[in-house]
Amino acid sequence: MSSGGNASSLPLVGGMPEPTIKELSKPGRRAFNYPKLDVPEEVIEHEAIKTEKAPLPEVSEHDLVMHFSRLAHRNFAVDLGFYPLGSCTMKYNPRFADWVASLPGFSNIHPSTPSHLSQGILEILYILEKYLIEITGMDYASFQPPAGASGELTGLLIIKEYLQRKNLNNKKNIIVPDSAHGTNPASAKMAGFNVVEVSTDINGLVDVKELKTLVNDETAGLMLTNPNTGGLFEEEILEISKIIHSVDGLLYYDGANLNAIVGVCRPGDMGFDIVHSNLHKTFATPHGGGGPGSGPVAVKDFLREYLPGPIVEKSDDKFSWYQPKYSIGRMHGYHGNFLVALRALAYMKLLGKEGLDDLGSYAVLNARYLASVISKSLPLAYAKPCMHEFVATVKDLKKSHKIKAYDVGKALLDRGFHSPTIYFPLIVEEALMFEPTETQSVDTLDDLSETISIIIEDLKLNNQNLNTYPKNLPVGRPNELIPAKHLTVNWGDFELLEITE
Amino acid sequence: MFVPHSDIDLKKVFNELSINSLSELFSHLPKELILENGVNLPDSISELEAIEYFESISKKNKENLICFAGGGHYDVYLPHTVKTLTMRPEFMTSYTPYQAEISQGVLQALFEFQSLVCDLTEMELANASLYDGATSIAEAISVAINKTKRDEVVISSGFHPNSKEVVNTLIDNEKFKIKYIDLIDYKFPKDYKFKDTDAAFVVSYPHFEGTAEDLTELVTKAKSKGIVTICYVDPTLLGILKTPGNMGFDIVVAEGQSIGTPLSFGGPTVGWFATKKEFARLVPGRIIGESRDSNNIKTYVMTLRAREQDIRREKASSNICTNQTLNAIGSAIHLCWLGPEGIYTMGFQAMQKANYMKNKLIEENIEVLNKDTSIREFLIKTEKDVDIVIDKMADDGYLAGIKYSNNQILIAVTEKRTKDEIDRYVNTLKKVLDE
Repeated sequence: MSSGGNASSLPLVGGMPEPTIKELSKPGRRAFNYPKLDVPEEVIEHEAIKTEKAPLPEVSEHDLVMHFSRLAHRNFAVDLGFYPLGSCTMKYNPRFADWVASLPGFSNIHPSTPSHLSQGILEILYILEKYLIEITGMDYASFQPPAGASGELTGLLIIKEYLQRKNLNNKKNIIVPDSAHGTNPASAKMAGFNVVEVSTDINGLVDVKELKTLVNDETAGLMLTNPNTGGLFEEEILEISKIIHSVDGLLYYDGANLNAIVGVCRPGDMGFDIVHSNLHKTFATPHGGGGPGSGPVAVKDFLREYLPGPIVEKSDDKFSWYQPKYSIGRMHGYHGNFLVALRALAYMKLLGKEGLDDLGSYAVLNARYLASVISKSLPLAYAKPCMHEFVATVKDLKKSHKIKAYDVGKALLDRGFHSPTIYFPLIVEEALMFEPTETQSVDTLDDLSETISIIIEDLKLNNQNLNTYPKNLPVGRPNELIPAKHLTVNWGDFELLEITE
Repeated sequence: MFVPHSDIDLKKVFNELSINSLSELFSHLPKELILENGVNLPDSISELEAIEYFESISKKNKENLICFAGGGHYDVYLPHTVKTLTMRPEFMTSYTPYQAEISQGVLQALFEFQSLVCDLTEMELANASLYDGATSIAEAISVAINKTKRDEVVISSGFHPNSKEVVNTLIDNEKFKIKYIDLIDYKFPKDYKFKDTDAAFVVSYPHFEGTAEDLTELVTKAKSKGIVTICYVDPTLLGILKTPGNMGFDIVVAEGQSIGTPLSFGGPTVGWFATKKEFARLVPGRIIGESRDSNNIKTYVMTLRAREQDIRREKASSNICTNQTLNAIGSAIHLCWLGPEGIYTMGFQAMQKANYMKNKLIEENIEVLNKDTSIREFLIKTEKDVDIVIDKMADDGYLAGIKYSNNQILIAVTEKRTKDEIDRYVNTLKKVLDE
């Protein structure tokens, strides 16, 4: 079998469930060791001091190491196999970036260290800003937003503040495609806007005719990712941009799909005024099981003074913090997820111009290839050529054999692949969304495609027992109702439930 | 770089797609958008060259300053065991655990994190993390507003100015009134009169200034008016201080950096959020629950998903998606390394050493503003401009503290500081002030 493909990545050693660390606890065991108190001990009386000890587990260091290592063994990861997860850009995370982030000169610096004592950190953010604005076609950036959703909110608060300063107070509507990520409408609502949805046409693109009817004096802006969540390039983006700008609205670029266009084209040139980037997607920082991310926001020159501050400035080879004049305010306690930003710069330095110029092209090449080979067993949702990801659908299989997107995803788990994104975008029935990224080999893509055709035949034969997939893993499909209904969210809750029932 | 395609691979792919060049992939894009010459950025460098590049920039930071700065981020000892376990690639390079069957490791680690946070704070339900302490305060206020449908927030002024700014950014101050209440002698005024229109009572424990007090009476008073009570706590002191749950708080939030994460210039760290089960459906962010699979085997799974943005869209309890999972796992591992005795020792030593330092400063006629009520962090008064003092102290190898005002420094002492470091700090400060 070729690299990274079939079943080479089943990570789940040991069929038995791992006890909780609390179940492993025995009174008197300990892992910690501290130096002896080296100042004279005094009796300190204080109203807030308690006498009882905190009820934490008591384990030896070896117990601790074994427990968390065993948990690690029960998890899939980029280092173990292929995540064809649409809209998530699960590419390879270079080890080198982790080493850079572990340098004590970066990782052990207190965030309140004055700027003249932390010039190296400011320099990193300054250089990374230059990379980001060149790649996205913008002018200035802030690294405050710790994740993509925070970047979105930042962008929307910038729009709000800008419009208020221009006395355009009637602008209350943010237009969002019906195919958008859930964070888009959630962020718009948080910023105090009304959400107006624009439909997707049969080709999978924003319905520009409908957009024209939705745009008016109340339009504050449009949130869009390009390529869109169907993996298609919005070919009429220049027209869309003209429509929004004609009523003094602003264009917000959701960086979720930036990987498709790095080195190919730039949101700034398309007319976007604000862009957030997901460094944990496009720039290869590890996803950490769900975070940390980093969602820096870049803007055109006329919006610089609205950025969450402080931002980095350089003069006479010295770096300093600059507080933008009409700043929307901080989005994070300090400067966002600095060590994530640092990892992204490490990745970009290794790639350099050559690597960055090729980035989008190879991401699209891989997706186009995978779409082509998978389409032999699964129909695609749209006829147009895809960018870095594509949407397939099993709606016909659902009709003929009751096979749902969910079942295909679960069956893939048995064979060493992560599931693609399913039921997204919401507008495609029984959607399976694939994003291979540029770091997967052609062999792995062939393996996935072959495995999918095998799975479909298998599911057709066994379609009376679809909910038994996955079958080869230590655990099967969890009952999702129990914790939602009984709130078994803390150790002991479940046992308590069993006793009371 | 990191693209595995050989010439043979490329030929195969080009054949399949009937193309001859990469640029043909983009023939359907508007021509004027295509970057003819790519990006204008420096050429790639090798890993070996990059080592030199990044090391030299890192050295432009003043390294190895002995850290007496706190304000939520503390220079505590972070054991190698915790660092290396947290950095395991299965944790580090995995995606959000939507596919429970192949994500039991991350799910169980997060479930244990939630449970440990609940045990430590005496609460019932914790989420799987928020961005940091400051954003967690704002999220907690949103919960209180949603729960009470009221629009005024009572918040202690004893918070880091950055945290106040974050609250100001994230809570819409056209709709909601944020009322900062001044501390008296570094304590929240005991006779404060809450109103029936207040949504939340938000207080830091200890206050930013370092003073801690038993807040039980204030919490009881606020709750009798139907107000949601929110405690922002320093988690490293929970081995010695009365818990927020014990004092009756509804919601506990924390900056979790000091449990499991290096200082990191403030990010990535982790926000903790714990509450009572009655608030379950208003909680922001991911929550992991325990369940069983079809063979009745223990299985963990993300739960109460109907609150979240990918399902609820504009009606979600928060827009948070990507969170700080890896740092939360770090917190869990560090808490287990500590155990009951370790977390006690961590707090106890910090308090003893702070007490020693306060006495030492007073011996040298340096004024400590909240000597008796503070725990491990306290304010001193300086006759000289604080910026100058901090600069001079840095020349001698100290990060002296956080500038509180032009003539006040906030000093934090952790269990990691030694008697020798404290003695030298006090002597150096004396010298700087006398100059």
